[in-house]
Amino acid sequence: MGKFWEKDWIKRLLKNKAAVVGLIIVLLLSFTAIFAPVLAPYDPIKDGSLQNRLKAPSSEHLLGTDKLGRDILSRIIFGARISVEIGVISVGLALIVGTLMGLTAGYYGGFLDSILMRIVDIILAFPSILLAIAITSVLGPSLNNAMIAVGIVMVPSFARVVRSTVLSLKEMEFVEAARAVGANDFTILFRHILPNSMAPIIVQGTMNIGTAILDAAGLSFLGLGAQPPTPEWGAMLVDARELLVKAPWVAFFPGLAIMLTVLGFNLLGDGLRDALDPRLKQ
Amino acid sequence: MKKIKVVSFLVLLAFVFTLTACGGNTAKNETKETKEKVFVFAKSGDPVGLDPANVTDGESIYVTQQIFETLVKYKEDNTEVIPGLAESWETSKDGLTWTFHLRKGVKFHDGTPFNAEAVKFNFDRWMDKNNPYHHGEFEYYGYMFGGYPGVIKEVKVVDEYTVQITLKTPLAPFLSNLAMPSFAISSPEAIKKYGQDYFKHPVGTGPFKFVEWKKDDRVVLERFDEYWGGKANFAKVIFRTIPDNSARLMELKSGNVDAITDINPDDVETVKNDPNLQLLLRPSMNVGYLAMNTEKKPFDNVKVRQAINHAINKKALVDAFYGGLAKPAKNPLPPSLWGYNDEIQDYEYDPAKAKALLAEAGYPNGFTTTLWAMPVARPYMPQPKQIAEAIQKDLEAVGIKAKIVTYDWATYLKKGQNGEHELYLLGWTGDNGDPDNFLYVLLDKDNAKKGSASNVAFYKNDKVHDLLIKAQQESDQTKRAEYYKEAQVIIHNDAPWVPLVHSTPPLAAKKSVKNWIPHPTGSECFFKVDKDE
Repeated sequence: MGKFWEKDWIKRLLKNKAAVVGLIIVLLLSFTAIFAPVLAPYDPIKDGSLQNRLKAPSSEHLLGTDKLGRDILSRIIFGARISVEIGVISVGLALIVGTLMGLTAGYYGGFLDSILMRIVDIILAFPSILLAIAITSVLGPSLNNAMIAVGIVMVPSFARVVRSTVLSLKEMEFVEAARAVGANDFTILFRHILPNSMAPIIVQGTMNIGTAILDAAGLSFLGLGAQPPTPEWGAMLVDARELLVKAPWVAFFPGLAIMLTVLGFNLLGDGLRDALDPRLKQ
Repeated sequence: MKKIKVVSFLVLLAFVFTLTACGGNTAKNETKETKEKVFVFAKSGDPVGLDPANVTDGESIYVTQQIFETLVKYKEDNTEVIPGLAESWETSKDGLTWTFHLRKGVKFHDGTPFNAEAVKFNFDRWMDKNNPYHHGEFEYYGYMFGGYPGVIKEVKVVDEYTVQITLKTPLAPFLSNLAMPSFAISSPEAIKKYGQDYFKHPVGTGPFKFVEWKKDDRVVLERFDEYWGGKANFAKVIFRTIPDNSARLMELKSGNVDAITDINPDDVETVKNDPNLQLLLRPSMNVGYLAMNTEKKPFDNVKVRQAINHAINKKALVDAFYGGLAKPAKNPLPPSLWGYNDEIQDYEYDPAKAKALLAEAGYPNGFTTTLWAMPVARPYMPQPKQIAEAIQKDLEAVGIKAKIVTYDWATYLKKGQNGEHELYLLGWTGDNGDPDNFLYVLLDKDNAKKGSASNVAFYKNDKVHDLLIKAQQESDQTKRAEYYKEAQVIIHNDAPWVPLVHSTPPLAAKKSVKNWIPHPTGSECFFKVDKDE
């Protein structure tokens, strides 16, 4: 478990071809997100006119134009920004809350553990997308609320992983040693136990970013997430549905972007898990 | 153990045989029924109710048109008034007393006779808020007759087949109003029997009688064999609810339905090119508009409203979203109606001018607002969400940031009637071919009461009100037209709306469907419609 701080996991990761493909996709996505204004040939919202709507891919518009005549390539490029934002913020939210819950539940046990884990069970009892729909319906449809909803839905996965790690770590000798020296609970949790639980948290986080992007795209597709004219990939698919026969590129490219991104994060997540914990592979 | 397995296998086998046998039976039944012609008609929305006096939406009225009849009715392709349940009528010189001579030998679907008593019973039910059978809102009665009891003073039974209606003041569109589907005559016995639930058990005198209504799925009607006008061609008419425009067209293409409404403008070509389908056009008598809530800031400022009129590129909208089947609007009245003021010069598309007007109004950097968009396809606006997004983009160009808001259809209408909106997309299909039905209903202060408003801009102008009331009380059509033209000028200058479009709604049917004549009011009876098998 404690292998995260050693260097040989990187070597193991780079030996795994699928993981490298995932890593490249993730790096490309991050690059696109950061340099979107430089890369995009047009403004994703303001450019384009109705006279130019639903034009097929051409040298002028590499991926064609959408129902309002906007350049689809530019919208996908700016959409990468939003997807990265969704992934980082919602998973970050889930990671912080989930980790704190897991640490507390695992370390203190007893009544607190029961309460926290029952909350987790309750959240898990709902199909995740259904729960996310319910939350955004209550909070009101917007991209921020969609991120919160997706974050809440993902809290249990972190809480459970961290709790089980803590349960095994707290019996270890280095924890007892720290306690013997007189370290308080806070120091033990955050200086000793947490750094040693990083590997599973990172694996979980990477895998969840893909799911988060997919869920948020789903919410936007249902009109509960990103609102027009935001160039979010899921939102771009909404009107494309009616145009499948007439202008398939309107649906195809955002769909492809979502698929590749989720695939990238999943491959990387799988690779990280194998690299960080070789025992799991056998 | 083995025995049990064998036994259960046999039981299972028996089951399968019974099931297939059943399947065979139903298949036979269906083929038997197809000897009798069935007409399957698909629409985008489910009816709200089937009591014609209590509905205002086209989805409900399409169904009630088959079951019910009115005293007078429209010609099959225009809004000229012809005899319906009343064979003839006369009016007094002052225009206050109307005498109707009713058709004899007409029966309601429940077997009770249609007569003068039945007519009086229906009028009393609509007019009088204290009538024991006044269950519901009766919106159209209020819109058309100016409240409850409004302009109608009294309805009197002269003899079994003669009814006399007395008005408080003359009402020029009175006869045209009576032909509206909302003033259809219901069976008094059925109303008494079903009370609050009458909207689920409609009983009229029309060529088809009600059989069942499966919510959000279908309404089934059956031929009424004792119809006074003869027998309809179809043994059954089935209205199916298919909300998705593309899915509805697919059902037509695959042959599961005979005719559909509200096709996507993008699909018009597809229908034209399909050898098995025919494209029909409903004559244009509608308007799609963007109402600005004049009671809310900053839309209480006429300069802001004019700025928005300059900011929206209507021509581009119409070209992009109507497949060539619409014209940009400059007035609330459609050009097909008399009284249309063609001398009005529309606010031209000019973002620079819009910005200048906003600056004059005190908003040089624009402002933030909400733009409400309908959740369902309407004949005057088949793709409301896309139009909203295009308008959002136009507004953004002059500095106005609009957030698009939408609700389910019933809530959307209710919140609009309550005035909770800022910018609000909606439209109107004319009911009776009279300008009063557009201008008085949609822009008079009488109809701007929160909770039941049909004037969703909450536009209140006393001058306009005076003109519209004068026009109601005048019987000379030339004079009435003058009043309406004058009102349109004031409305144009005050700019409570951005009039967007007058559309020609496209419909589609199988090639085999005959005699279907789309009526400008938005729906028609299928009595004469037929199809080749």
